[in-house]
Amino acid sequence: MKELSELIFKEGLRYTNDHEWVTEEGDTLKIGVSDYAQDQMGDIVYVELPDVGTTFQKGEEFGTLESVKAVSELYLPISGEVVAVNDDLGDSPELINQDPYTNWIIEIKPSDPGELDQLLTVADYRELLRG
Amino acid sequence: MDATKRTVLHGWHVENGANMALFGNYDMPLWYKTGAKAEHLAVIQAAGIFDTSHMAVVSVKGEGAKTLLQYCLSKDLDCCLGKGKTELVDGRCVYGVFLKPDGTVIDDAIVYQLQSESFMVVVNAGMGGEIATHLKKNAGKNTVTVEDLTGRVGKMDIQGPESARVLKKILKDPQTVFDRMVYFSFKGGVGDLQTEHPVEFTDGTRVLLSRTGYTGEFGFEIFVPIEALASLWSMVLEAGSEMGVLACGLAARDSLRAGAVLPLSHQDIGPWPFFNNPWPFALPWNDDNVTFSKDFIGKTALLQKNWDRYTLPFAGYDPRKIAPGDENFVISETGERLGTILTCTTDMAIGRMDGEIVSVAGNKDFQAKGLCCGFVLLEREYSPGDQVILSDGKRKIKVEIRTDIRPARTARNSIASMLA
Repeated sequence: MKELSELIFKEGLRYTNDHEWVTEEGDTLKIGVSDYAQDQMGDIVYVELPDVGTTFQKGEEFGTLESVKAVSELYLPISGEVVAVNDDLGDSPELINQDPYTNWIIEIKPSDPGELDQLLTVADYRELLRG
Repeated sequence: MDATKRTVLHGWHVENGANMALFGNYDMPLWYKTGAKAEHLAVIQAAGIFDTSHMAVVSVKGEGAKTLLQYCLSKDLDCCLGKGKTELVDGRCVYGVFLKPDGTVIDDAIVYQLQSESFMVVVNAGMGGEIATHLKKNAGKNTVTVEDLTGRVGKMDIQGPESARVLKKILKDPQTVFDRMVYFSFKGGVGDLQTEHPVEFTDGTRVLLSRTGYTGEFGFEIFVPIEALASLWSMVLEAGSEMGVLACGLAARDSLRAGAVLPLSHQDIGPWPFFNNPWPFALPWNDDNVTFSKDFIGKTALLQKNWDRYTLPFAGYDPRKIAPGDENFVISETGERLGTILTCTTDMAIGRMDGEIVSVAGNKDFQAKGLCCGFVLLEREYSPGDQVILSDGKRKIKVEIRTDIRPARTARNSIASMLA
């Protein structure tokens, strides 16, 4: 297990209490999981993703990450419509372990872009993990 | 609950970045930095080492030792070796279960005959005291000394095709040690438990070396004086580093054993009768498959056959799994509840080609994505090939009832063939 000092945090991203990250790309948002999340889960062996075009409310489950240890639900931190999913994860779910920040999971068009400001900053997230 | 226990290798596990979790009240490694998938594959393609010193050793000695074990263990020690079912001899070991009179399982065990009046019983983490008490309680007029050696014997396993090559580098006299060392045989000794044939490493460490394991793959279990375990662990890992040997955690151990159709005690076998399951070889059935060849605790209950549930192995079609849980069930296509999930894990070395299960063993070009597999406990019998559904209420995963899971396992291969 990684020590706090070994964990990678990426500046400029927003984080959630569920260990996901969100980044703004024009008028869409990309969402992935943090280094802490992938380290806790262990090897990810299967990724279940939603269909493009599906709309989710904030807090709704949009998919699952299946690791050697357990199945972890993914919750959408911001309401919106799925505009893209990372298809590379279907064949290579281990990409999330290899680089959880480059390998985003879904891209959404937010219904209310203002919700992004309610998420944690990197400093908040670091503090959350420090416990 | 007792305080959390640690093996003597605990510090090594933590220093090497292991993700730790409680197992049998021991704080044990789930996987190291390499990850459970790499560890699982190392055991199929090279070898892996496991800290198994959380397991318990019980010594049973004296004139009445065999009689006592015959009465308490399910396996018939007079009728167990090879096709001819000959009696257990020095240097051989057998797998069996300790049952209660109602036929339910206290624990499973491997029983080693060191000498005609000296036996070693290896049971699961935390079970040494209970099994020792059980044996003493049933000793009757037998002259026997039972001693729980929990925490006093170190144990590590090396499993995988390169295991013999690794040990060959560091054993003092590998040729003699490996000579006629068949599956489920052993040499050497530990503490007061000694055979006639010592097994010594180049650094002078003397061990009990056993051709057994819990992965379904070729390999050894090594019993060693507790104070010598840490140095032996490092020596084996160093000797194996050039062959791709990895330290492996309990996650890989669990997925390997499930793919090999081996039960986890207290999960796949437990407080229900040891019957209608994939392990009838642990019972002393006569050739008629109706009567038993000896008297033992649990016999009467099992012969009544009044247990109408079935423990069956299964494998899925992709890596997705549904863990055992109070809200998780096995259901039919129409949603009818059929039973419960006992074990569900992902064997990372296998996948399906045209519906058939294929392993990376012997198929170097095969890219396995892993298949979920394990055991279910169903209310009626199903045949291999039948499909049932695992459900957690939300997700549904179709799986196939199997007789076997991971193909091309190496556990029974001869040492000579693995060194060739």
